[in-house]
Amino acid sequence: MNLLRRPGAEPVTPRKVRITLILALILIPAAFVVLVPYLWMFTTSLKVRGTTGLPPYLFPNVFEFGNYLKAWQAAPFLRYYLNTTIVAISIIASRVVLASLAAYAFAFLRFPGRNLLFLLFLGTMMIPFQATIIPSYLIIRDLQWFNTFQALIVPRMVDAFSIFLLRQAFISIPRDYLDAARLDGCSHWQALWKVVVPLNSSSVVTMGLFAFLFAWNDYLWPLLVANSEQMRTIQLGLQVFAGRYQTEWTYMMAGTVTATLLPLILFLAAQRSFISGLTRSGLKG
Amino acid sequence: MQVRSTDSHNWLTRLRRSDIPTALLFLLPSLVILGVFNFYPIAGVFRLSFFKWDNLSPAKTFIGLDNFIRLFQSERFWNSLKVTAEYTLVVTAVSLLLGLVLAVFLNNRMLLGKSFWRSMFFLPVVTPTVAAAMVWILLFNPGFGLVNVVLRALGLDGLNWLADKTWALPTVMSLGIWRRLGFTLILYLAALQSLSKEYYESAEIDGANALQRFLHITVPLLRSTTIMLIILGVIDSFLVFDQVMVLTRGGPDDATEVIGMFMYLNSFSLFKLGYGAAISVVMFVVVAVFTLMQWRFVGFGSAEEAE
Repeated sequence: MNLLRRPGAEPVTPRKVRITLILALILIPAAFVVLVPYLWMFTTSLKVRGTTGLPPYLFPNVFEFGNYLKAWQAAPFLRYYLNTTIVAISIIASRVVLASLAAYAFAFLRFPGRNLLFLLFLGTMMIPFQATIIPSYLIIRDLQWFNTFQALIVPRMVDAFSIFLLRQAFISIPRDYLDAARLDGCSHWQALWKVVVPLNSSSVVTMGLFAFLFAWNDYLWPLLVANSEQMRTIQLGLQVFAGRYQTEWTYMMAGTVTATLLPLILFLAAQRSFISGLTRSGLKG
Repeated sequence: MQVRSTDSHNWLTRLRRSDIPTALLFLLPSLVILGVFNFYPIAGVFRLSFFKWDNLSPAKTFIGLDNFIRLFQSERFWNSLKVTAEYTLVVTAVSLLLGLVLAVFLNNRMLLGKSFWRSMFFLPVVTPTVAAAMVWILLFNPGFGLVNVVLRALGLDGLNWLADKTWALPTVMSLGIWRRLGFTLILYLAALQSLSKEYYESAEIDGANALQRFLHITVPLLRSTTIMLIILGVIDSFLVFDQVMVLTRGGPDDATEVIGMFMYLNSFSLFKLGYGAAISVVMFVVVAVFTLMQWRFVGFGSAEEAE
Protein backbone atom coordinates (compact mmCIF):
# COMPACT_ATOMS: atom_id res chain seq x y z
CA MET A 1 0.00 0.00 0.00
CA ASN A 2 2.79 2.33 0.82
CA LEU A 3 5.82 0.85 -0.87
CA LEU A 4 4.07 0.31 -4.14
CA ARG A 5 1.48 2.03 -6.26
CA ARG A 6 -2.09 1.20 -5.33
CA PRO A 7 -3.76 -0.72 -8.09
CA GLY A 8 -7.36 0.30 -7.45
CA ALA A 9 -9.82 -2.01 -9.19
CA GLU A 10 -7.76 -2.42 -12.32
CA PRO A 11 -7.63 -5.82 -14.02
CA VAL A 12 -4.65 -8.08 -13.51
CA THR A 13 -1.64 -6.45 -15.11
CA PRO A 14 1.86 -7.79 -15.65
CA ARG A 15 2.99 -5.27 -13.07
CA LYS A 16 0.68 -6.68 -10.43
CA VAL A 17 1.76 -10.21 -11.18
CA ARG A 18 5.37 -9.14 -10.91
CA ILE A 19 4.83 -7.49 -7.52
CA THR A 20 2.97 -10.51 -6.16
CA LEU A 21 5.83 -12.73 -7.29
CA ILE A 22 8.48 -10.48 -5.75
CA LEU A 23 6.59 -10.47 -2.45
CA ALA A 24 6.38 -14.25 -2.47
CA LEU A 25 10.09 -14.49 -3.25
CA ILE A 26 10.90 -12.37 -0.21
CA LEU A 27 8.37 -13.76 2.24
CA ILE A 28 8.65 -17.49 1.54
CA PRO A 29 12.35 -17.72 2.52
CA ALA A 30 11.76 -15.43 5.52
CA ALA A 31 8.87 -17.56 6.77
CA PHE A 32 10.92 -20.68 6.10
CA VAL A 33 13.70 -19.48 8.40
CA VAL A 34 11.16 -18.66 11.12
CA LEU A 35 9.38 -22.01 10.78
CA VAL A 36 12.35 -24.32 10.30
CA PRO A 37 12.77 -24.93 14.06
CA TYR A 38 9.24 -26.38 14.16
CA LEU A 39 9.95 -28.59 11.16
CA TRP A 40 13.25 -29.79 12.60
CA MET A 41 11.57 -30.54 15.94
CA PHE A 42 8.77 -32.47 14.29
CA THR A 43 11.00 -34.41 11.90
CA THR A 44 13.41 -35.38 14.67
CA SER A 45 10.56 -36.53 16.88
CA LEU A 46 9.61 -39.07 14.21
CA LYS A 47 13.06 -40.46 13.47
CA VAL A 48 14.17 -43.95 14.41
CA ARG A 49 16.20 -43.90 17.62
CA GLY A 50 19.91 -43.51 16.96
CA THR A 51 19.56 -42.15 13.43
CA THR A 52 19.43 -38.51 14.50
CA GLY A 53 22.91 -37.95 13.13
CA LEU A 54 23.12 -38.98 9.54
CA PRO A 55 22.16 -38.37 6.89
CA PRO A 56 20.39 -35.09 7.72
CA TYR A 57 17.00 -34.43 6.18
CA LEU A 58 14.40 -31.75 6.75
CA PHE A 59 11.05 -33.36 5.99
CA PRO A 60 9.94 -36.50 7.81
CA ASN A 61 10.22 -39.66 5.69
CA VAL A 62 9.92 -42.18 8.51
CA PHE A 63 7.14 -41.92 11.02
CA GLU A 64 8.20 -43.50 14.29
CA PHE A 65 5.18 -42.48 16.38
CA GLY A 66 6.40 -44.91 19.03
CA ASN A 67 8.77 -42.16 20.19
CA TYR A 68 5.82 -40.32 21.66
CA LEU A 69 4.75 -43.40 23.56
CA LYS A 70 8.31 -43.84 24.85
CA ALA A 71 8.56 -40.23 25.93
CA TRP A 72 5.21 -40.43 27.69
CA GLN A 73 6.28 -43.61 29.46
CA ALA A 74 9.66 -42.20 30.47
CA ALA A 75 8.18 -39.10 32.12
CA PRO A 76 4.68 -38.50 33.55
CA PHE A 77 3.66 -36.07 30.80
CA LEU A 78 0.03 -36.83 31.49
CA ARG A 79 0.53 -35.66 35.04
CA TYR A 80 2.30 -32.49 33.79
CA TYR A 81 -0.57 -31.83 31.41
CA LEU A 82 -3.14 -32.31 34.15
CA ASN A 83 -1.26 -30.05 36.59
CA THR A 84 -0.87 -27.33 33.99
CA THR A 85 -4.52 -27.56 33.00
CA ILE A 86 -5.69 -27.27 36.60
CA VAL A 87 -3.46 -24.23 37.15
CA ALA A 88 -4.40 -22.59 33.84
CA ILE A 89 -8.15 -23.04 34.28
CA SER A 90 -8.05 -21.79 37.86
CA ILE A 91 -6.08 -18.70 36.86
CA ILE A 92 -8.37 -17.95 33.91
CA ALA A 93 -11.53 -18.40 35.98
CA SER A 94 -10.34 -16.24 38.84
CA ARG A 95 -9.04 -13.52 36.52
CA VAL A 96 -12.33 -13.38 34.64
CA VAL A 97 -14.20 -12.86 37.91
CA LEU A 98 -11.78 -10.69 39.88
CA ALA A 99 -10.51 -8.54 37.01
CA SER A 100 -14.09 -7.96 35.79
CA LEU A 101 -15.15 -6.82 39.25
CA ALA A 102 -12.21 -4.46 39.62
CA ALA A 103 -12.55 -3.16 36.06
CA TYR A 104 -16.24 -2.45 36.66
CA ALA A 105 -15.44 -0.52 39.81
CA PHE A 106 -12.81 1.56 38.02
CA ALA A 107 -15.00 2.13 34.97
CA PHE A 108 -18.43 2.89 36.45
CA LEU A 109 -18.43 3.38 40.21
CA ARG A 110 -17.80 6.69 41.94
CA PHE A 111 -15.69 6.58 45.06
CA PRO A 112 -13.01 8.78 46.57
CA GLY A 113 -9.44 7.97 45.51
CA ARG A 114 -10.50 6.10 42.39
CA ASN A 115 -7.87 7.56 40.09
CA LEU A 116 -5.14 7.22 42.68
CA LEU A 117 -5.97 3.57 43.28
CA PHE A 118 -6.10 2.89 39.54
CA LEU A 119 -2.66 4.46 39.12
CA LEU A 120 -1.38 2.37 41.99
CA PHE A 121 -2.71 -0.78 40.28
CA LEU A 122 -1.13 0.28 36.97
CA GLY A 123 2.10 0.90 38.82
CA THR A 124 2.44 -2.82 39.50
CA MET A 125 2.94 -3.31 35.77
CA MET A 126 6.34 -1.69 36.06
CA ILE A 127 7.43 -4.04 38.83
CA PRO A 128 9.27 -6.91 37.15
CA PHE A 129 8.52 -10.35 38.51
CA GLN A 130 12.19 -10.84 39.36
CA ALA A 131 12.06 -7.84 41.69
CA THR A 132 9.43 -9.40 43.93
CA ILE A 133 10.41 -13.03 43.60
CA ILE A 134 12.42 -13.41 46.82
CA PRO A 135 9.73 -12.02 49.18
CA SER A 136 7.04 -13.95 47.25
CA TYR A 137 9.09 -17.12 47.66
CA LEU A 138 9.39 -16.44 51.39
CA ILE A 139 5.61 -15.91 51.69
CA ILE A 140 5.00 -19.29 50.07
CA ARG A 141 7.56 -20.83 52.42
CA ASP A 142 5.94 -19.29 55.49
CA LEU A 143 2.51 -20.47 54.38
CA GLN A 144 4.04 -23.93 53.85
CA TRP A 145 2.67 -23.96 50.32
CA PHE A 146 5.66 -25.53 48.57
CA ASN A 147 4.52 -28.15 46.06
CA THR A 148 0.85 -27.23 46.25
CA PHE A 149 -1.56 -25.90 43.65
CA GLN A 150 -2.20 -22.83 45.82
CA ALA A 151 1.40 -21.75 45.33
CA LEU A 152 0.97 -21.81 41.56
CA ILE A 153 -2.52 -20.30 41.49
CA VAL A 154 -3.11 -17.79 44.32
CA PRO A 155 -0.35 -15.26 43.47
CA ARG A 156 -1.62 -15.17 39.89
CA MET A 157 -5.35 -14.92 40.61
CA VAL A 158 -5.50 -11.37 39.34
CA ASP A 159 -3.06 -8.95 37.70
CA ALA A 160 -3.05 -5.28 36.79
CA PHE A 161 -2.77 -5.97 33.06
CA SER A 162 -6.06 -7.93 32.99
CA ILE A 163 -7.84 -5.23 34.99
CA PHE A 164 -6.44 -2.55 32.67
CA LEU A 165 -7.43 -4.47 29.53
CA LEU A 166 -11.01 -4.97 30.74
CA ARG A 167 -11.40 -1.45 32.10
CA GLN A 168 -10.38 0.04 28.74
CA ALA A 169 -12.98 -2.18 27.06
CA PHE A 170 -15.70 -1.46 29.63
CA ILE A 171 -15.49 2.34 29.37
CA SER A 172 -16.05 2.15 25.61
CA ILE A 173 -19.59 0.71 25.84
CA PRO A 174 -22.43 3.24 25.62
CA ARG A 175 -23.33 4.46 29.08
CA ASP A 176 -27.06 4.21 28.20
CA TYR A 177 -26.98 0.41 28.29
CA LEU A 178 -25.76 0.43 31.83
CA ASP A 179 -28.18 3.16 32.94
CA ALA A 180 -31.10 1.29 31.42
CA ALA A 181 -30.13 -1.88 33.26
CA ARG A 182 -29.80 0.04 36.51
CA LEU A 183 -33.21 1.70 36.02
CA ASP A 184 -34.72 -1.74 35.49
CA GLY A 185 -33.60 -2.55 38.99
CA CYS A 186 -30.39 -4.47 38.26
CA SER A 187 -27.82 -4.40 41.03
CA HIS A 188 -24.24 -3.57 40.07
CA TRP A 189 -23.44 -7.26 40.28
CA GLN A 190 -26.24 -8.12 37.83
CA ALA A 191 -25.36 -5.22 35.54
CA LEU A 192 -21.79 -6.47 35.36
CA TRP A 193 -22.60 -10.07 34.47
CA LYS A 194 -25.76 -9.52 32.43
CA VAL A 195 -24.83 -6.38 30.50
CA VAL A 196 -21.21 -5.30 30.70
CA VAL A 197 -19.40 -8.64 30.39
CA PRO A 198 -21.61 -10.02 27.58
CA LEU A 199 -21.08 -6.78 25.64
CA ASN A 200 -17.31 -7.16 26.07
CA SER A 201 -17.07 -10.90 25.63
CA SER A 202 -14.30 -10.62 23.05
CA SER A 203 -12.08 -8.68 25.45
CA VAL A 204 -12.79 -11.18 28.20
CA VAL A 205 -11.85 -14.03 25.84
CA THR A 206 -8.64 -12.22 24.87
CA MET A 207 -7.75 -11.78 28.50
CA GLY A 208 -8.43 -15.47 29.10
CA LEU A 209 -6.15 -16.41 26.19
CA PHE A 210 -3.31 -14.34 27.59
CA ALA A 211 -3.84 -15.97 30.98
CA PHE A 212 -3.74 -19.43 29.42
CA LEU A 213 -0.51 -18.77 27.53
CA PHE A 214 1.01 -17.29 30.64
CA ALA A 215 0.15 -20.34 32.73
CA TRP A 216 1.23 -22.81 30.03
CA ASN A 217 4.58 -21.15 29.35
CA ASP A 218 5.42 -20.26 32.94
CA TYR A 219 8.76 -21.59 34.13
CA LEU A 220 10.66 -19.67 36.81
CA TRP A 221 7.94 -19.55 39.46
CA PRO A 222 7.02 -23.26 39.24
CA LEU A 223 10.74 -24.05 39.27
CA LEU A 224 11.03 -22.36 42.66
CA VAL A 225 7.82 -23.37 44.42
CA ALA A 226 6.54 -26.60 42.83
CA ASN A 227 9.38 -28.75 41.57
CA SER A 228 8.29 -32.15 42.87
CA GLU A 229 7.53 -34.86 40.31
CA GLN A 230 3.85 -34.85 41.31
CA MET A 231 3.42 -31.09 40.98
CA ARG A 232 5.48 -30.14 37.94
CA THR A 233 3.84 -28.14 35.21
CA ILE A 234 4.56 -28.88 31.58
CA GLN A 235 7.56 -26.64 30.83
CA LEU A 236 9.32 -27.63 34.04
CA GLY A 237 8.56 -31.28 33.38
CA LEU A 238 9.96 -30.97 29.87
CA GLN A 239 13.21 -29.50 31.16
CA VAL A 240 13.67 -32.22 33.78
CA PHE A 241 12.88 -34.87 31.17
CA ALA A 242 15.42 -33.37 28.78
CA GLY A 243 18.05 -33.32 31.50
CA ARG A 244 17.53 -37.03 32.08
CA TYR A 245 17.47 -38.08 28.41
CA GLN A 246 20.01 -35.64 27.07
CA THR A 247 21.22 -37.71 24.15
CA GLU A 248 17.91 -39.34 23.29
CA TRP A 249 17.00 -36.68 20.76
CA THR A 250 14.01 -38.45 19.28
CA TYR A 251 12.30 -38.84 22.66
CA MET A 252 13.30 -35.36 23.69
CA MET A 253 11.74 -33.81 20.60
CA ALA A 254 8.62 -35.96 21.03
CA GLY A 255 8.33 -34.47 24.51
CA THR A 256 8.95 -30.98 23.16
CA VAL A 257 6.21 -31.36 20.54
CA THR A 258 3.94 -32.48 23.36
CA ALA A 259 4.70 -29.35 25.35
CA THR A 260 4.36 -26.98 22.37
CA LEU A 261 1.33 -28.15 20.43
CA LEU A 262 -1.55 -26.89 22.57
CA PRO A 263 -0.64 -23.18 22.69
CA LEU A 264 0.09 -23.19 18.96
CA ILE A 265 -3.27 -24.78 18.10
CA LEU A 266 -5.10 -22.44 20.44
CA PHE A 267 -3.39 -19.41 18.93
CA LEU A 268 -4.18 -20.48 15.37
CA ALA A 269 -7.81 -21.09 16.33
CA ALA A 270 -8.20 -17.73 18.04
CA GLN A 271 -5.56 -15.65 16.28
CA ARG A 272 -7.88 -12.83 15.27
CA SER A 273 -9.02 -11.98 18.79
CA PHE A 274 -5.53 -12.62 20.10
CA ILE A 275 -3.78 -10.24 17.74
CA SER A 276 -6.39 -7.52 18.01
CA GLY A 277 -6.16 -7.72 21.80
CA LEU A 278 -2.40 -7.49 21.63
CA THR A 279 -2.30 -4.47 19.34
CA ARG A 280 -4.99 -2.65 21.29
CA SER A 281 -3.33 -3.15 24.65
CA GLY A 282 0.18 -2.79 23.28
CA LEU A 283 -0.52 0.52 21.60
CA LYS A 284 -2.12 1.92 24.70
CA GLY A 285 0.19 0.34 27.25
CA MET B 1 -42.47 14.13 50.85
CA GLN B 2 -40.87 12.31 53.70
CA VAL B 3 -39.87 13.95 56.90
CA ARG B 4 -36.15 14.76 57.04
CA SER B 5 -34.32 12.09 58.92
CA THR B 6 -31.67 12.72 61.51
CA ASP B 7 -28.18 13.67 60.42
CA SER B 8 -26.64 10.29 61.18
CA HIS B 9 -29.41 8.43 59.41
CA ASN B 10 -29.00 10.74 56.47
CA TRP B 11 -25.28 10.02 56.37
CA LEU B 12 -25.87 6.27 56.48
CA THR B 13 -28.43 6.38 53.72
CA ARG B 14 -26.15 8.47 51.56
CA LEU B 15 -23.35 6.00 52.09
CA ARG B 16 -25.65 3.09 51.30
CA ARG B 17 -26.92 4.81 48.18
CA SER B 18 -23.43 5.80 47.09
CA ASP B 19 -21.13 3.45 45.21
CA ILE B 20 -18.59 3.21 48.01
CA PRO B 21 -19.69 -0.10 49.59
CA THR B 22 -20.01 -1.78 46.19
CA ALA B 23 -16.67 -0.43 45.03
CA LEU B 24 -15.02 -1.70 48.18
CA LEU B 25 -16.55 -5.13 47.72
CA PHE B 26 -15.61 -5.32 44.03
CA LEU B 27 -12.03 -4.18 44.61
CA LEU B 28 -11.30 -6.07 47.79
CA PRO B 29 -10.18 -9.40 46.25
CA SER B 30 -7.85 -7.65 43.78
CA LEU B 31 -6.49 -5.42 46.53
CA VAL B 32 -5.69 -8.44 48.67
CA ILE B 33 -3.94 -10.38 45.89
CA LEU B 34 -1.98 -7.41 44.54
CA GLY B 35 -1.22 -6.29 48.07
CA VAL B 36 0.17 -9.61 49.23
CA PHE B 37 2.03 -10.56 46.03
CA ASN B 38 3.01 -7.15 44.60
CA PHE B 39 3.00 -4.26 47.05
CA TYR B 40 4.22 -6.15 50.08
CA PRO B 41 7.02 -7.97 48.18
CA ILE B 42 8.34 -4.82 46.50
CA ALA B 43 8.58 -3.16 49.91
CA GLY B 44 10.02 -6.37 51.32
CA VAL B 45 12.76 -6.62 48.72
CA PHE B 46 14.01 -3.12 49.53
CA ARG B 47 14.02 -3.98 53.23
CA LEU B 48 15.75 -7.31 52.67
CA SER B 49 18.47 -5.68 50.58
CA PHE B 50 19.80 -4.02 53.77
CA PHE B 51 20.30 -7.37 55.48
CA LYS B 52 22.81 -10.15 55.33
CA TRP B 53 20.84 -13.36 55.27
CA ASP B 54 22.36 -16.60 54.05
CA ASN B 55 20.88 -20.04 53.59
CA LEU B 56 17.49 -19.14 55.07
CA SER B 57 18.89 -19.51 58.57
CA PRO B 58 17.01 -17.48 61.21
CA ALA B 59 19.91 -15.05 61.68
CA LYS B 60 19.38 -11.87 59.70
CA THR B 61 21.89 -9.09 60.24
CA PHE B 62 21.31 -5.48 59.33
CA ILE B 63 24.29 -4.31 57.29
CA GLY B 64 23.04 -1.06 55.77
CA LEU B 65 24.26 -0.53 52.24
CA ASP B 66 26.94 -3.24 52.34
CA ASN B 67 25.11 -5.47 49.86
CA PHE B 68 25.04 -2.65 47.33
CA ILE B 69 28.65 -1.73 47.96
CA ARG B 70 29.74 -5.33 47.46
CA LEU B 71 27.53 -5.53 44.39
CA PHE B 72 29.01 -2.46 42.75
CA GLN B 73 32.50 -3.74 43.51
CA SER B 74 31.76 -7.15 42.05
CA GLU B 75 33.25 -7.77 38.61
CA ARG B 76 30.71 -10.48 38.04
CA PHE B 77 27.87 -7.98 38.52
CA TRP B 78 29.34 -5.58 35.96
CA ASN B 79 29.90 -8.49 33.62
CA SER B 80 26.22 -9.47 33.97
CA LEU B 81 25.18 -5.90 33.20
CA LYS B 82 27.44 -5.86 30.14
CA VAL B 83 26.08 -9.20 28.88
CA THR B 84 22.51 -8.03 29.49
CA ALA B 85 23.18 -4.74 27.69
CA GLU B 86 24.64 -6.54 24.68
CA TYR B 87 21.75 -8.98 24.57
CA THR B 88 19.21 -6.16 24.93
CA LEU B 89 20.81 -3.99 22.27
CA VAL B 90 21.11 -6.71 19.64
CA VAL B 91 17.75 -8.41 20.24
CA THR B 92 15.83 -5.13 20.36
CA ALA B 93 17.54 -3.57 17.34
CA VAL B 94 17.44 -6.61 15.07
CA SER B 95 13.85 -7.58 15.89
CA LEU B 96 12.78 -3.98 15.38
CA LEU B 97 14.46 -3.66 12.00
CA LEU B 98 13.34 -7.04 10.66
CA GLY B 99 9.86 -6.52 12.07
CA LEU B 100 9.50 -3.17 10.32
CA VAL B 101 10.71 -4.44 6.95
CA LEU B 102 8.48 -7.52 7.11
CA ALA B 103 5.51 -5.41 8.23
CA VAL B 104 5.92 -3.19 5.17
CA PHE B 105 5.88 -6.23 2.89
CA LEU B 106 2.91 -7.73 4.71
CA ASN B 107 1.05 -4.45 4.42
CA ASN B 108 1.22 -4.56 0.62
CA ARG B 109 -2.17 -4.71 -1.01
CA MET B 110 -1.14 -7.23 -3.57
CA LEU B 111 -0.04 -9.77 -1.00
CA LEU B 112 -2.17 -12.88 -1.01
CA GLY B 113 -3.15 -14.49 2.30
CA LYS B 114 -2.10 -11.67 4.60
CA SER B 115 -3.47 -13.22 7.80
CA PHE B 116 -1.74 -16.51 6.97
CA TRP B 117 1.66 -14.82 6.79
CA ARG B 118 0.95 -12.80 9.89
CA SER B 119 0.13 -15.95 11.87
CA MET B 120 3.25 -17.76 10.66
CA PHE B 121 5.57 -14.99 11.79
CA PHE B 122 3.72 -14.71 15.08
CA LEU B 123 3.91 -18.40 16.07
CA PRO B 124 7.25 -18.06 17.95
CA VAL B 125 5.71 -15.46 20.27
CA VAL B 126 3.22 -18.01 21.62
CA THR B 127 5.71 -20.89 21.65
CA PRO B 128 6.86 -21.78 25.17
CA THR B 129 10.40 -20.52 25.75
CA VAL B 130 11.56 -23.74 27.38
CA ALA B 131 10.32 -25.84 24.46
CA ALA B 132 11.91 -23.46 21.94
CA ALA B 133 15.19 -23.63 23.85
CA MET B 134 15.11 -27.45 23.56
CA VAL B 135 14.86 -27.10 19.80
CA TRP B 136 17.68 -24.55 19.83
CA ILE B 137 19.93 -27.03 21.68
CA LEU B 138 19.26 -29.49 18.89
CA LEU B 139 19.62 -26.97 16.03
CA PHE B 140 22.98 -25.80 17.37
CA ASN B 141 24.27 -29.24 18.29
CA PRO B 142 27.93 -29.35 17.20
CA GLY B 143 27.62 -32.78 15.58
CA PHE B 144 24.36 -33.08 13.69
CA GLY B 145 22.62 -29.78 14.44
CA LEU B 146 21.03 -28.24 11.36
CA VAL B 147 23.16 -25.09 11.60
CA ASN B 148 26.44 -26.97 11.41
CA VAL B 149 25.09 -29.33 8.74
CA VAL B 150 24.32 -26.33 6.55
CA LEU B 151 27.67 -24.70 7.30
CA ARG B 152 29.55 -27.87 6.40
CA ALA B 153 27.61 -28.15 3.19
CA LEU B 154 28.86 -24.65 2.39
CA GLY B 155 32.41 -25.80 3.09
CA LEU B 156 32.72 -24.06 6.46
CA ASP B 157 33.66 -25.51 9.81
CA GLY B 158 30.85 -25.85 12.30
CA LEU B 159 31.18 -24.61 15.87
CA ASN B 160 30.24 -25.87 19.28
CA TRP B 161 27.94 -22.89 19.56
CA LEU B 162 26.63 -23.03 23.10
CA ALA B 163 29.98 -24.04 24.59
CA ASP B 164 31.95 -21.35 22.79
CA LYS B 165 32.72 -18.25 24.83
CA THR B 166 32.37 -15.95 21.83
CA TRP B 167 29.37 -17.58 20.17
CA ALA B 168 27.21 -18.70 23.09
CA LEU B 169 25.71 -15.23 23.59
CA PRO B 170 24.85 -14.69 19.91
CA THR B 171 23.20 -18.13 19.92
CA VAL B 172 21.05 -17.13 22.89
CA MET B 173 20.34 -13.81 21.11
CA SER B 174 19.13 -15.64 18.01
CA LEU B 175 16.43 -17.32 20.10
CA GLY B 176 15.49 -13.97 21.59
CA ILE B 177 15.17 -12.38 18.16
CA TRP B 178 13.15 -15.31 16.84
CA ARG B 179 10.70 -14.93 19.71
CA ARG B 180 10.52 -11.13 19.54
CA LEU B 181 10.18 -10.64 15.78
CA GLY B 182 6.48 -11.53 15.53
CA PHE B 183 5.60 -9.04 18.24
CA THR B 184 7.28 -6.05 16.57
CA LEU B 185 5.88 -7.16 13.21
CA ILE B 186 2.30 -7.22 14.51
CA LEU B 187 2.52 -3.83 16.18
CA TYR B 188 4.19 -2.21 13.16
CA LEU B 189 1.58 -3.75 10.88
CA ALA B 190 -1.24 -2.37 13.01
CA ALA B 191 0.39 1.06 12.95
CA LEU B 192 0.90 0.92 9.17
CA GLN B 193 -2.73 0.01 8.62
CA SER B 194 -3.83 3.09 10.54
CA LEU B 195 -1.73 5.51 8.44
CA SER B 196 -3.61 7.78 6.09
CA LYS B 197 -3.08 7.14 2.38
CA GLU B 198 -3.02 10.84 1.62
CA TYR B 199 0.59 11.16 2.69
CA TYR B 200 1.58 8.66 0.04
CA GLU B 201 -0.59 10.07 -2.69
CA SER B 202 1.00 13.49 -2.46
CA ALA B 203 4.45 11.91 -2.33
CA GLU B 204 3.70 9.95 -5.46
CA ILE B 205 2.69 13.12 -7.22
CA ASP B 206 6.03 14.57 -6.15
CA GLY B 207 7.67 11.60 -7.80
CA ALA B 208 9.13 9.92 -4.72
CA ASN B 209 10.17 6.32 -5.30
CA ALA B 210 9.36 3.41 -3.00
CA LEU B 211 12.54 3.63 -0.93
CA GLN B 212 12.22 7.42 -0.55
CA ARG B 213 8.63 7.05 0.54
CA PHE B 214 9.63 4.39 3.08
CA LEU B 215 12.44 6.50 4.55
CA HIS B 216 10.79 9.92 4.43
CA ILE B 217 7.17 9.08 5.13
CA THR B 218 6.70 5.66 6.70
CA VAL B 219 9.61 5.72 9.15
CA PRO B 220 8.85 9.20 10.59
CA LEU B 221 5.13 8.44 10.83
CA LEU B 222 5.88 5.30 12.81
CA ARG B 223 8.02 7.20 15.29
CA SER B 224 5.80 6.74 18.34
CA THR B 225 5.34 3.03 17.61
CA THR B 226 9.10 2.68 17.28
CA ILE B 227 9.80 4.43 20.56
CA MET B 228 7.23 2.32 22.32
CA LEU B 229 8.65 -0.88 20.81
CA ILE B 230 12.20 0.09 21.78
CA ILE B 231 11.24 0.67 25.39
CA LEU B 232 9.05 -2.44 25.62
CA GLY B 233 11.87 -4.40 23.98
CA VAL B 234 14.47 -3.08 26.38
CA ILE B 235 12.33 -4.00 29.39
CA ASP B 236 11.59 -7.46 27.99
CA SER B 237 15.22 -8.21 27.08
CA PHE B 238 16.62 -6.79 30.27
CA LEU B 239 14.62 -9.37 32.23
CA VAL B 240 15.57 -12.34 30.02
CA PHE B 241 15.93 -15.53 32.03
CA ASP B 242 14.16 -18.68 30.79
CA GLN B 243 16.17 -19.27 27.63
CA VAL B 244 19.49 -18.56 29.36
CA MET B 245 18.61 -20.97 32.16
CA VAL B 246 17.76 -23.76 29.72
CA LEU B 247 20.46 -23.13 27.09
CA THR B 248 23.59 -22.26 29.07
CA ARG B 249 22.84 -21.53 32.76
CA GLY B 250 24.99 -18.46 32.21
CA GLY B 251 28.01 -20.34 30.86
CA PRO B 252 30.52 -21.02 29.43
CA ASP B 253 32.27 -19.27 32.34
CA ASP B 254 29.96 -16.30 32.59
CA ALA B 255 29.73 -15.45 28.90
CA THR B 256 25.91 -15.52 28.91
CA GLU B 257 25.29 -14.65 32.55
CA VAL B 258 22.59 -12.01 32.21
CA ILE B 259 21.50 -10.11 35.30
CA GLY B 260 18.39 -12.28 35.77
CA MET B 261 20.62 -15.36 35.84
CA PHE B 262 23.05 -13.63 38.22
CA MET B 263 20.16 -12.83 40.56
CA TYR B 264 18.81 -16.37 40.38
CA LEU B 265 22.18 -17.99 41.09
CA ASN B 266 22.87 -15.78 44.09
CA SER B 267 19.37 -16.05 45.53
CA PHE B 268 18.35 -19.62 44.83
CA SER B 269 21.57 -21.58 44.29
CA LEU B 270 23.72 -19.89 46.91
CA PHE B 271 20.73 -18.66 48.97
CA LYS B 272 22.36 -15.30 49.62
CA LEU B 273 18.95 -13.70 49.92
CA GLY B 274 20.01 -10.25 51.11
CA TYR B 275 22.51 -9.95 48.28
CA GLY B 276 19.97 -11.33 45.82
CA ALA B 277 17.46 -8.75 47.02
CA ALA B 278 19.98 -5.99 46.28
CA ILE B 279 20.26 -7.30 42.69
CA SER B 280 16.45 -7.37 42.53
CA VAL B 281 16.36 -3.73 43.60
CA VAL B 282 18.77 -2.79 40.80
CA MET B 283 16.59 -4.64 38.29
CA PHE B 284 13.50 -2.90 39.61
CA VAL B 285 15.08 0.54 39.35
CA VAL B 286 16.23 -0.02 35.76
CA VAL B 287 12.83 -1.30 34.64
CA ALA B 288 10.98 1.45 36.50
CA VAL B 289 13.14 4.12 34.86
CA PHE B 290 12.46 2.72 31.41
CA THR B 291 8.74 2.45 32.10
CA LEU B 292 8.57 6.07 33.24
CA MET B 293 10.63 7.04 30.19
CA GLN B 294 8.11 5.26 27.99
CA TRP B 295 5.26 7.30 29.47
CA ARG B 296 7.16 10.56 29.03
CA PHE B 297 8.57 9.81 25.59
CA VAL B 298 5.35 8.55 24.11
CA GLY B 299 3.68 11.68 25.43
CA PHE B 300 6.29 13.93 23.84
CA GLY B 301 6.23 11.96 20.62
CA SER B 302 2.51 12.30 20.06
CA ALA B 303 2.60 16.00 20.99
CA GLU B 304 5.23 16.68 18.34
CA GLU B 305 3.45 14.64 15.74
CA ALA B 306 0.25 16.55 16.33
CA GLU B 307 1.88 19.73 15.05
